Amino acid sequence: MNRLIIIALGIFSTLNVFAQGPPITTETPIMLGLEGNGIRTFGKFISKENTNIYVQPIAIPYNITSKFQIGGIFPFKFITLKGVETTGGFGDMTVFAKYQLYKKDGKAKTFRILGLVKQIFPTGKTSSSPVIGSGLSQTYIGIVMGKLTTKKGLYADFGYNITNKNASDHFLYNFSLGVPLLPHKYPQKQLNTFLEFNGNYVFDPKVHTLFISPGFQFIPGRRVLFETSFQIPIVQNNITTNKTNYMILFGTRFLIN
Amino acid sequence: MKNIFKQTGLLVLILLFSVTSSTEVNAQTNDQEFTYVKVEVKGLACPFCAYGLEKKLKEVDGVKTIKIDVEEGLAYLTVLKSKKPLKKTLEKIVTDAGFTPSSIVFSEKPFTLRDED
Repeated sequence: MNRLIIIALGIFSTLNVFAQGPPITTETPIMLGLEGNGIRTFGKFISKENTNIYVQPIAIPYNITSKFQIGGIFPFKFITLKGVETTGGFGDMTVFAKYQLYKKDGKAKTFRILGLVKQIFPTGKTSSSPVIGSGLSQTYIGIVMGKLTTKKGLYADFGYNITNKNASDHFLYNFSLGVPLLPHKYPQKQLNTFLEFNGNYVFDPKVHTLFISPGFQFIPGRRVLFETSFQIPIVQNNITTNKTNYMILFGTRFLIN
Repeated sequence: MKNIFKQTGLLVLILLFSVTSSTEVNAQTNDQEFTYVKVEVKGLACPFCAYGLEKKLKEVDGVKTIKIDVEEGLAYLTVLKSKKPLKKTLEKIVTDAGFTPSSIVFSEKPFTLRDED
């Protein structure tokens, strides 16, 4: 049971960053521009007491319409237990669908709510030590909301993750405040800063983790974006071994058409 | 010999005159062949999502230039007068791009953009 909790926490500490858009570690309800047909990839380094993990996912969204998006996330994961060789390979694949439930547009502002469903498949190998995949099928059902003006962006997402086998279900929640540091012009350069919170609550046994995640984002033109985020744990309740020290993310998104 | 110089000079003058006249005519034609469109787009609050709108507006038949003012939520189009788009066509393009269309203004003269103030 403890092994499953540790595996699940490891998986979810990376799942938080599979969010699709500006903001960096929170989902966005804006499925436009870079969020519509942009490929996203990033390298995330997770430092734990006894383990170092490197995850490199590639997320590919596709807009069926401006209200409906589907996509896939294909992660490569490398785990190094301290004093042991690195194990790596393809992790658990995710497919997702987003649907816009509500939209209220105004002059230079918008408020949108989406429904989000993810299905995670146990494609990562579990025969290695340490394991790369969770060995679990998981279904996530959540809500994504955001209010965006040219002065700031407020984003939130939360949802319930159902797992099969004996692993506990989770409640995931993320919150983000984004502020542009340069005037909003198009297609001029953009520099944005974010303060984000990424939470994960496991029901059985009760384990709660919360990270504070400051980040920066640079958009040099129409078709490409660079971003970085530093995630520091502020709550790690009921975790006695292998606590997370910090996480660092460097990523890019680019439009393919 | 003098005749050759005279003839050459006359030819150059005629050529210069014809080029000047042609340029003036072209300038007059350019002024008259475009329609200028200002589209108010609600929900346009981020430069990173303006790309989708620009891409959709490029599909407008006869469009020559597109400029987007994110702060004001405005898109400016220069379109061939012979292919002046319908208001409902532009509204559909804005809606398909994921935004909400508001007022659409057609003009025979270029709009003054904020950056050009």
